[in-house]
Amino acid sequence: MRNLYLFFLKYIDHFIFIIFVFFSFSLLFQNDNSNIHIIRGKFSDKFSLISSPLAWIRSMTRLEKETENLRLKNIQLTLKMQSMLNENDKYKSLLELLQFKEDSNLELLAAKVVNSGSSANLSSITLDIGSNDGIRVGQAVLVPEGVIGKTIIVGKKSSVVQIMNDINYRLSVRVLPSGTAGILNYLKDDIFEVRELQKNSNISIGDKVVTSGFSQIYPINLPVGEVVEVINERGSFQKVAKIRILSNLGGLLHVFIVINIL
Amino acid sequence: MNITNHIFIAIFVFLAQFFLVDFLSIKMIRPDFLVIYIFYFSLLYGRTLGIIAAFSLGLLSDLSGVGSFFGLAPLALTINAYLVGFLKGKYERLLPYVFHSLWLIILLLHFFIITYVNHQLIFVTSFFDFIIRWLMTFGYTMMFFLVIQFFFPVKEASIA
Repeated sequence: MRNLYLFFLKYIDHFIFIIFVFFSFSLLFQNDNSNIHIIRGKFSDKFSLISSPLAWIRSMTRLEKETENLRLKNIQLTLKMQSMLNENDKYKSLLELLQFKEDSNLELLAAKVVNSGSSANLSSITLDIGSNDGIRVGQAVLVPEGVIGKTIIVGKKSSVVQIMNDINYRLSVRVLPSGTAGILNYLKDDIFEVRELQKNSNISIGDKVVTSGFSQIYPINLPVGEVVEVINERGSFQKVAKIRILSNLGGLLHVFIVINIL
Repeated sequence: MNITNHIFIAIFVFLAQFFLVDFLSIKMIRPDFLVIYIFYFSLLYGRTLGIIAAFSLGLLSDLSGVGSFFGLAPLALTINAYLVGFLKGKYERLLPYVFHSLWLIILLLHFFIITYVNHQLIFVTSFFDFIIRWLMTFGYTMMFFLVIQFFFPVKEASIA
């Protein structure tokens, strides 16, 4: 017995090692044991009590970073929302164009503006359709608000449109309801002047201006603009009316070309 | 150094592990301060006390955490303490490079056990990823270990 005790004392480290390794393995293999869960649960409660102040400090240190991330996310979402709103506007505009085409008694061909030139003064635009699509020189170009110009150069796949604010552009128009005819030319911004109006004609501010139909290019009664000022010079035999056009020449994306009158 | 001092140091190391390990975590790899402490403790006081300290600290470590493998830390630390215990007082009897290789292998084995149990699936599916993870875990703890080396070299602990 004494020898056994001495043997145990001599190799106590090995025995302890075997016992502890065995015990560790038994713990590992009893991970799902309910008693182990209860013990771990109780210790977890105690340790969570100790670690909670640290967790609070940690959360505070992370708060700043999280706020920064949220700000970034907010900006991203705002931009996304803005983009969606823009898409919505585009959708509405296209819907309007579609409606205009359906309601019109003209045979129209839709075109996309692919280039507005690089000069400071916008005077022509390039469209993505050309002679292959049936386009010819001298065809009227419209948007739902009214006339904007005419085709002057036609390629196979593209065409150039002279728009109304070109200094050389002229358009025969009629002021309604008086029916007085005149010649429209560009003045400044969105203001145009109609010259050669009869001196005795009755023209008032707010009168509608439409195409006269005298031209072979523009069909009759296409909307152009409305009168904003009437100049009646004493020594002149004519009246001059300043008009504001209805279409926005600076923001053209899609236009229609009049192919035929139905 | 009496036993009370060692208990305080052990508590300090455990608390350091408990509180600091999250701040020092890099891509889910954490340093293991307990293995450093057990390593020095076993080198200074031998196998028997080393094993007892290793098992106790390992058990406490597992109880404080929420790991799936309850009993893994006591097992790995006990094996570590047992093997390191063999190196107590051996620095002058072994060639230095043998001595240093041995303790490095012991630490590698410790991290192998931990990594193998925790990442058995990676071991089976991608052995290379397993090796990388094992060496990363080992390397990260070794960084702290080498800093401690400057103040308390292993060879001095062995002959103390």
